[in-house]
Amino acid sequence: MAEVVFDQASRIYTPGAKPAVDRLDLTVADGDLVVLVGPSGSGKSTALRMLAGLEPIDAGSVRIDGRDVVDVPSKDRDIAMVFQNYALYPSKTVAENMAFPLKMRGMDKDERAQRVRQAAEMLGLTEYLDRKPKALSGGQRQRVAMGRAIVREPQVFLMDEPLSNLDAKMRVQTRAQIAEMQNRLEVSTVYVTHDQVEAMTMGDKVAVLANGQLQQYATPPELYDRPKNAFVAGFIGSPAMNLLDLPRSSSGVTLGGVEIPLPRDVSDAAGSRDKLTIGIRPEDWVLESTDADSSTVVKAVVDVVEELGSESYLYAHLADDTSTSVVVRGPGRVKVRFGDPIAVRPNPDALHVFDAETGERLP
Amino acid sequence: MTATLEERPAAPENAGGKPAIDKAEGWRRRGPLLPALIFTIIVTQIPFILTLYYSLQSWNLVRPGSQEFVWFSNYGDVFADSQFRTVALNTVIMTLGSVLIAVVLGLLLALLLNRQFAGRGIVRTLLITPFLITPVAAALLWKTVLLDPTLGLINFVLTPFGGSGTEWISQFPLASVMAALIWQWTPFMMLLLLAGLQSMPTDQLEAARVDGASAWSTFRELTLPHLRRFIELGVVLGTIYLVNIFDQVYMMTQGGPGVASANLPFYIYQRAFLGFDIGQSAAMGVVVVILTLIAANFALRLIFRSFSGEQEAA
Amino acid sequence: MAVTTSTPPDTQEPAAPPEPRRQKRSAANVWLGVVAWIVGIAFFFPVFWMVLTSFKQETDAYTTTPKIIFEPTLEQYEGVFSAGVGPYLVNSVIATVFSTLLVLLLGIPAAFAVSLRPVKKTQDVLFFFISTKMLPVVAVIVPIYVVVNQIGMLDNIWTLVVLYTGMNLPIAVWMMRSFFLEVPGELLEQASIDGAPLWRTLREIVLPIISPGIFATALICVIFAWNEFFFAVNLTAANAGTVPVFLVGFITSEGLYWAQLSAAATMAALPVVIAGWVAQNKLVQGLSFGAVK
Repeated sequence: MAEVVFDQASRIYTPGAKPAVDRLDLTVADGDLVVLVGPSGSGKSTALRMLAGLEPIDAGSVRIDGRDVVDVPSKDRDIAMVFQNYALYPSKTVAENMAFPLKMRGMDKDERAQRVRQAAEMLGLTEYLDRKPKALSGGQRQRVAMGRAIVREPQVFLMDEPLSNLDAKMRVQTRAQIAEMQNRLEVSTVYVTHDQVEAMTMGDKVAVLANGQLQQYATPPELYDRPKNAFVAGFIGSPAMNLLDLPRSSSGVTLGGVEIPLPRDVSDAAGSRDKLTIGIRPEDWVLESTDADSSTVVKAVVDVVEELGSESYLYAHLADDTSTSVVVRGPGRVKVRFGDPIAVRPNPDALHVFDAETGERLP
Repeated sequence: MTATLEERPAAPENAGGKPAIDKAEGWRRRGPLLPALIFTIIVTQIPFILTLYYSLQSWNLVRPGSQEFVWFSNYGDVFADSQFRTVALNTVIMTLGSVLIAVVLGLLLALLLNRQFAGRGIVRTLLITPFLITPVAAALLWKTVLLDPTLGLINFVLTPFGGSGTEWISQFPLASVMAALIWQWTPFMMLLLLAGLQSMPTDQLEAARVDGASAWSTFRELTLPHLRRFIELGVVLGTIYLVNIFDQVYMMTQGGPGVASANLPFYIYQRAFLGFDIGQSAAMGVVVVILTLIAANFALRLIFRSFSGEQEAA
Repeated sequence: MAVTTSTPPDTQEPAAPPEPRRQKRSAANVWLGVVAWIVGIAFFFPVFWMVLTSFKQETDAYTTTPKIIFEPTLEQYEGVFSAGVGPYLVNSVIATVFSTLLVLLLGIPAAFAVSLRPVKKTQDVLFFFISTKMLPVVAVIVPIYVVVNQIGMLDNIWTLVVLYTGMNLPIAVWMMRSFFLEVPGELLEQASIDGAPLWRTLREIVLPIISPGIFATALICVIFAWNEFFFAVNLTAANAGTVPVFLVGFITSEGLYWAQLSAAATMAALPVVIAGWVAQNKLVQGLSFGAVK
């Protein structure tokens, strides 16, 4: 068990080019599960591999339990990793796969067998211990890879998209299993995924990366409620937050001819900017009657309706500006269809306001 | 490719090391390569450098002490030699003719074998056998059992059509040798092109079927372009292997009558080991190398293309 | 994708498609199958005839109308042995086995170095190897003869062992490289996290994965070495001659005895035909330097 610290850690593939990981600062508290999430090319996997010792740390440092590991080879970092494709040794049985890291550390045979047995019980693999990986299903292979990590009793678990090769149902099931197991073992875990749902459901804290840089590092509710910039705002949440570039008016901004007032602290922070990026989550619209006065509601025309049963999402464009599209959450069994007019009003207390140039949150 | 894999560099050389591999590590990595490299240089390159050197000398083995430096006069003699020109032409006909026919036949066979039918594995095994037969034994087989004018199977089969009694080896020496070569190399082309056909993504073929393409237009528009690389590779590899053919010529015709069926390897052999003219045969060897280099240039490019394609995929 | 995971075994086999609709298609397939069988038999027939003839009496072999029914005999094989094929067989075995072992000994580390732990000049080295295969043998036979003669190694089987190693090494390096590259990188990374030293990773993890490939490579080297004739005929005589050399001498002396010739040719070809049948799936990969799988 240990605290993991990235301290200005960088990975530069080609000197002079943009670093793959750019001065990353991140602290994983002891026993936490931290998810690194971001689009492809964001550097999340590279960061994990730097921690694993599979990529060199070109600048800055990485510390595990207070020890700088920059020059420590993988095997001496006291970590265990679960790979995307599981990396099971094809010539070894399940039991041999799980025992291999222990054998390499010179643990005696009886203890090895006992630990493997325990892990297998925990993961429901007992009856498969003598099988070769190729005789297992995808989900079973995934569990063997987990088992091989668990038996090590390492200071840190590293997981690189461990669920991406599973089908949707299996993924949800295994997601819960991993989170539950990690809670029980209380081993600090760094988990990489491109799936923001995985990130939000599993992480004690989530680090959002883009272009090699850390965008925000926070708990899931905080990420959702107070995204630090427009990128995080658009990345977290599904369907994504509506991000609209709107002109300033006297008391706020205007959207489709409707004046949207901004809270005092926001408009103070906005200063003299004549444009702002306004973020409105789909659930933060209020559906109004289409008869309402057009100076208080925004009129839009529905393009697509996604009916999910308990709720629905309306994809629409503004009536007087067809190039601006919005997503609005509505109730289940909504009666509107393609081409119908709707009227919406943003909930003024749930607005996210960003600088239109830098994307930084205001205030 | 999934998102995370794209972030990683393709080469595994970044795994577990510093970006700039330090000197000691560099040698540790190169070390396992050196024995093979040094061995290959000694066995293949040094003799070739000696060939270059000998080609500038007048040297006949049966006249000891005759060795002297003559600059390029051997090359002059080689190009003035009308037999050499005939032999060079024979080599081109024999090599390209056999390769092209083998590729066409190989393609037809590959298309046949790319379907499901009972005993496909056995048929494939039967088909590749000619390629495996020791070339000397294969040549012997053709010379006697198949092409013998009175007792050969070919004339026996042709008798009902009034074709008996043809003296294949003496009347058509070059064609006879080529027939043996084609019989041996068609299976190789078939295997290569079959590998090509089987690497064809099935979803493309299914898409074509859904799009309503006929079998012929699917073949022409999708299969053939996909096979192009394999056909080119077959032509180039076949050329490289067949330009060196010696066994069949030696066994079936001894290059005769005259030099009617001799190719460059056989002619050089004659000059070196029957005529003992080291200088001239070395000069001819150099000429062959230059000709081969031209073909090899294409080959290297082709293989490099496959090679870098594979790198992308890795 | 570098790593492929085969489909889990718990997926069900799809049920057999309904029969009637496929009838037209399969009728064509049956006919083309018959054509394939005919062509296959035609290609194989000379080989079959050679083997058949080797079991005939000379009187049965030497007929204007080919004989299929006859009383088989092993007399011809006895004849080949009494003509002294024994030492030639031994030479062929020595040249083949030792050159193949040497190829593996030199080639496996080299293939490992150029695939799993490449350095900057790796590609140059790879293309050097391949370019040596494009150098015609005739261009080097003269100096090889002169040098071998000068160091007194003419008609010595170890000369052939060395030359055959040089001949097969480039193919083997390229071929084995392509097998090494098929080892998923994640496995090696996992092994390094698990703390396995390099040699253990190689022995316990890499080798089991690539051993079928190494076996196929060895078989292809065996085929080439066994069949080689040019070096053998030029550099050996009575002491170190290999089976193809024996065959040539045999023809000149036994020109008219077809049955016995067939027996000798069958003996020469049989080992490599079997090796080739075993290695047939990897033949193309070897001959195309790993460019085609």
